Amino acid sequence: MNKLLLLFFTIYGVGLVHAQDQYITRQGEVTFFSYTSVENIQATNNQVASILYPSSNKIGVQILMRAFTFEKSLMYEHFNESYIESDLYPKATFQGVIVDFDPTQEGTQTRIIKGDFKLRGITKPVEFKAMIVKSDNIYSISGALDVSIKDYEIKVPPILSPNIAKNVQVSFKFQYAPNDNQK
Amino acid sequence: MIQVIHAQDILKDLEAITVEDSLPTIATFKGTHISIGHSVETRKKGVLEISSMNRFWNRPVPDTERVQTFAADKWNSRVGVDYGISDRFTVGAGYGTGYRSIDVFGKYRLFYQRDSGAKFPFSITLFQGGVYRGKSSFKGILYTDEAMTTKRDVPSENKFATTTQLLIARKFSRNFSFQIAPTYVFRAEDKLVDDASPHHFAVGFGARYKVSNHVSIVSEYYYVLKPVDFVDTYGPFSLGANWEVSNLLLQFKLTNARNLVEDKYIIKTENNFNFRDGNLHFGFHATYFIQL
Repeated sequence: MNKLLLLFFTIYGVGLVHAQDQYITRQGEVTFFSYTSVENIQATNNQVASILYPSSNKIGVQILMRAFTFEKSLMYEHFNESYIESDLYPKATFQGVIVDFDPTQEGTQTRIIKGDFKLRGITKPVEFKAMIVKSDNIYSISGALDVSIKDYEIKVPPILSPNIAKNVQVSFKFQYAPNDNQK
Repeated sequence: MIQVIHAQDILKDLEAITVEDSLPTIATFKGTHISIGHSVETRKKGVLEISSMNRFWNRPVPDTERVQTFAADKWNSRVGVDYGISDRFTVGAGYGTGYRSIDVFGKYRLFYQRDSGAKFPFSITLFQGGVYRGKSSFKGILYTDEAMTTKRDVPSENKFATTTQLLIARKFSRNFSFQIAPTYVFRAEDKLVDDASPHHFAVGFGARYKVSNHVSIVSEYYYVLKPVDFVDTYGPFSLGANWEVSNLLLQFKLTNARNLVEDKYIIKTENNFNFRDGNLHFGFHATYFIQL
C-alpha cells in the first residue's frame, strides 16, 4: 500500500513538474535595426510568441511578420510586400537550445543560444549570446543577433541597396511565465 | 520521466499559444491611383503625398505646320497633394494647368479586405471629388456667334463638376488585383447646352498585375453608360506600368485620356485609343511620399 501511495505521488509529482515545464510569452518583443548612411529603418514587434522548456533547455520563438510596426507606413508596406513577402511567408520561427543553462539558478546568467532560424522559408543555423534572468518563477531572456539579408535571399534592387543594411541587427526581449493552460 | 521535445512539438506548442488576428489585406494597389483613376487605397494617418500628373501628346496636323515644344506638341498637368487624416480617410487637392482647374477630393475606406480570421472579400472605398475650372473647355458653345469671334461668358455656376465613385476591389492573389467602380458625374457645364443632361454614369474597370516586387503592369477602362449628349465621346483606356522606388512611385502610361480630373476624363474623352497623333497620349505620374 505504501509503495502504491509512493507510486501515486511520484506520478502526481511528475505531472506537476510537467505542468510547470512550459514557460510562455505572447508579448515578446523583437526589434530590428537597419543602419545605413542613407536611411535608418527600425521596426518593433511586441506580439511575439515564445516558449521556454526549462527541463530540456529548449526554446522556441514564432514571429508574425505582419505585426512589425514601422515609423513610416510605406516602409511597413514595402517590408511586407517587397522584401519579406509576408503573404508567402507569414512567420519566422526559431528553435534552439540554451547551452549550459541552469533553470534553477536564481538571478542572472549569460548563455549561448544555438538553433535554427527560419525566415522566408529558409532555415539557417544561428548562434548568439543571451542574458537570462530568473526571479519569482519568471524567466527573462534578452539578447541580440545579426541577420544577413543575403542568407535569407531578401532581394534589394540595386538602386535601393544603399538604403538597406547588409546585416540587420535584431534584438529581443522575452518574459516568460508558466503556461497554466498547458495540455 | 525524461521528456524529449521534438522540433515539431515546439512548433505545435507555439501554434497553440498564438492567436490569429484578422489583418486587412495590404497593397491591393500600390498608389492612390491605379493608372488614370483612383484606386481603393487610402493613405495612412499622417502621410502627405505630393504628386505631379502629366500627359503629353502630338496634334494631328501636317508635319510642316507642327510647332513642337519639349518632346511633344501639347502638355497637360496637375500638381496635387494628398493627406491621410486617418487610416481610412484621405483628402486631396490639386491644380490643373489645362483648364486652370482647382479640384478637391475626399476618399473614405468603408471596408478592408480580410483574408484571415473574420473574412471579408472586398475592399470598398467611397470617393467624392469636386472641381472648379477657371477656363471652359466648350468649343462650340463658347462663342455667341457663328463666326466664333465673340466669346461668351460662362457663368461661375456652370464651371463646377462633381464625381462620386464607389470603388470596389479585390486582391485575388499576391500579384493580381481587380477593381470595379460605379461612377456618377455631375457636370454643370453641360447645362449650357440646351436639353443636355448634366448627369452622367460610368463604370470603371481597373487591374494590376505585379511582375516583380517593385514593378506592376496596370490597365484601366471606363465604360460610359450615359455620355454627354452633344459630342462624341469614348471610354478612357489606359495601359501602363507602375514602378516603386523607395518613397517615390512612378506611373507611366499610354492612354487616350488627356485630362486629369475625374469628371472630364471619364465623361468627356473625345478621342479613341489608337496610335495616331492626337489620340495617343503618354502619361507620367510621380508621387512622393512624406510621413509627417
